[in-house]
Amino acid sequence: MAEPLTRKKTVFLVRLAVIVITSYFIILSPSTGKQWENYGYIFIAIYLLTNLIVAYIPDKYFYDDKIFYGFVLFDSILLPAGIYVSGYVGSELYLMFFFIISLTTMSSNFGYLMVNTLFYSFIYGWLLYQRGLLTGPDAISYLIQIPFIIIIAVFYGFLITTRLKDKDIRINEARERYEKIVQATDVLMCIVDYDGKFLFTNQKLVKFYGYKDENNLLGLTISQLHNEDEAETEKTLNYVRSVYKNNETVHYESYDKNHGKWFAHTLSPIRDPSTSNVFEVCIISKDITDIMEKEQKLNETVELLQRTRNQLIQKDKMAALGRMASSIAHEIRNPLEIIYMGVDDLENNIPSDNKQMQESIEKIIKAADRADNIIKNVLSFARQSSYKIIRLPLHPLLNNVLALVEQTIQKNGVIVQRDYDNDSLEVAGDYNMLEHVFLNLVNNAIDAMKERKEKKLTIRAYKQLVTDIGYKIGLSPDDFFRIGDDMIVVEISDTGKGIAKGDMTKIFEPFFTTKPANEGTGLGLSIAHMIMDRLSGTIDVESTENEGTTFFVKLQSEIKTTNTAEV
Amino acid sequence: MSEKIRVLIIDDEVDFCYFVQKNLTRDGRFNILVATNGKDGIELAENEIPDIILLDLFMPDMPGEDVAAALQENITTAGIPILFVTALATNDDIANRDENKIGNNYIMPKPVRTKKLIETILDILGRS
Repeated sequence: MAEPLTRKKTVFLVRLAVIVITSYFIILSPSTGKQWENYGYIFIAIYLLTNLIVAYIPDKYFYDDKIFYGFVLFDSILLPAGIYVSGYVGSELYLMFFFIISLTTMSSNFGYLMVNTLFYSFIYGWLLYQRGLLTGPDAISYLIQIPFIIIIAVFYGFLITTRLKDKDIRINEARERYEKIVQATDVLMCIVDYDGKFLFTNQKLVKFYGYKDENNLLGLTISQLHNEDEAETEKTLNYVRSVYKNNETVHYESYDKNHGKWFAHTLSPIRDPSTSNVFEVCIISKDITDIMEKEQKLNETVELLQRTRNQLIQKDKMAALGRMASSIAHEIRNPLEIIYMGVDDLENNIPSDNKQMQESIEKIIKAADRADNIIKNVLSFARQSSYKIIRLPLHPLLNNVLALVEQTIQKNGVIVQRDYDNDSLEVAGDYNMLEHVFLNLVNNAIDAMKERKEKKLTIRAYKQLVTDIGYKIGLSPDDFFRIGDDMIVVEISDTGKGIAKGDMTKIFEPFFTTKPANEGTGLGLSIAHMIMDRLSGTIDVESTENEGTTFFVKLQSEIKTTNTAEV
Repeated sequence: MSEKIRVLIIDDEVDFCYFVQKNLTRDGRFNILVATNGKDGIELAENEIPDIILLDLFMPDMPGEDVAAALQENITTAGIPILFVTALATNDDIANRDENKIGNNYIMPKPVRTKKLIETILDILGRS
């Protein structure tokens, strides 16, 4: 079989049949009145031409309502007129019936059209009979007019019903297609009115909010969905109203706390076709949690890289400084030695009653002592002297550190909170080194809170499974902590003034201090950092200005055999 | 009158040598010999056989450890106790003197004052 018979093709074929029959009447008319015969040929030509138009007119125009009725009217007028001019009919009543049926065609109802046609065909037949035309010599040619009218009417009826059906199918097809798109899409979709009331929702949205079907949602408002998040509701409603007001699409992103998801929303106006005013708003919400999480992860990674880079630079700097400190210490101690020895010599030569000279000597010794002290600090920074890494209990160590600063804590009115893990923790380290680190951090914390109202020092100690990659934490053999290992974390938090953002990268640098010149050497944290390096541990800091600072000391729980001390 | 303690100082820091010599001589119990480089020091030690040698670790011609090794290889000087006086050591290093011996030798951080130096020398000699 070739392609199926389309409606257009049917119309074309039926019309062709009608034209052939009508032409037969016109040309081979047995009737006497042949005065219209020439016009008859013109009629045939016009009629054939219109059928050509039917064959080639684009579907768009063929299915257009106005063109369709024009076409029906044209046929209704031209067809009977053609038959009439053939002189075959002999009765102008025939024309009248045709017009009546044509008008009935406009009713768009096939049954109605058929009843009318049969009714008028009966009357027409009766009138012909009354005039005695059905018994005369031309009886057959008159009688044939009645089925002809019926055939034409059926043809019109076909056109009407198929046209409507066709239109319905097309509408349904379009609706189904849109429905499929709306339901298959991965986005939440709804249409709301000015008050945020749902007029339509897609399945995705229905399911997302845990409803059974759309009907449970219709009539509810946005606020009822977000009832735990009033700010979010208010935000959505404001956007809906702005769409009504500005007649423009808006986009925004928001976080759904209840579901823990990020959404990108697009609110588009649905306009009244005649006035262009907004009468509904379509909201399309796309889940962008993945993208946001990826973005966040990326940011975190960049930050981590930045931090690691800084720490590496820091380590490098400290190593260089350590070497330099060693040489400087050596170079300064030799002249210091000469000063001491020289002073010893002088002391023996000063008469015991010369108090002034003796005082001067004392001052020189004091200055030399001070210089020697600085050198000692620098040197202990440069190379930590003898240490022994053993496993030792952490809690007594922390308690001992707090006991050492007990007086300072009392004097400053600091409240100490100990938040240790219930299990007694053991760390791999050197007692003196760890004491040095924690003492330093606790003293710093107390200093940072000196001018603060709330003075709370919190010391936390807990075991943590290593899960995230960080500075010296990862999978490389160089890393101190491997993913999957346990590490012991000591957090020392204060409610102090915090560290200025610009200082965060500098605090572990040697000689960096924010304290007055005679109060701090600026070596405390850099020594702590170096000690942690020696112990295969890390020291990190988090700080918010005017809120407080937390230092995280991460220690090995087992002795690492691979890590050997460097110098 | 008892014999004086013969101390050999090997140190490139001339002024240090000068003051040690002066202060220790004044004390009366010491006889001081001075060498300002490693080579002279070894030679002087062989010739004079001092009771104790104060040795610097960092010297331009040879490191103190090498001087000490050379002295110990030589039978005539092998028994002389050596006290390293160095600017590189810290108090922690000598917290336990026995552990901080370099071989049979002792170590003392600079700077040191005369009194302490004398005490240390006497201590070492009293022990050995």
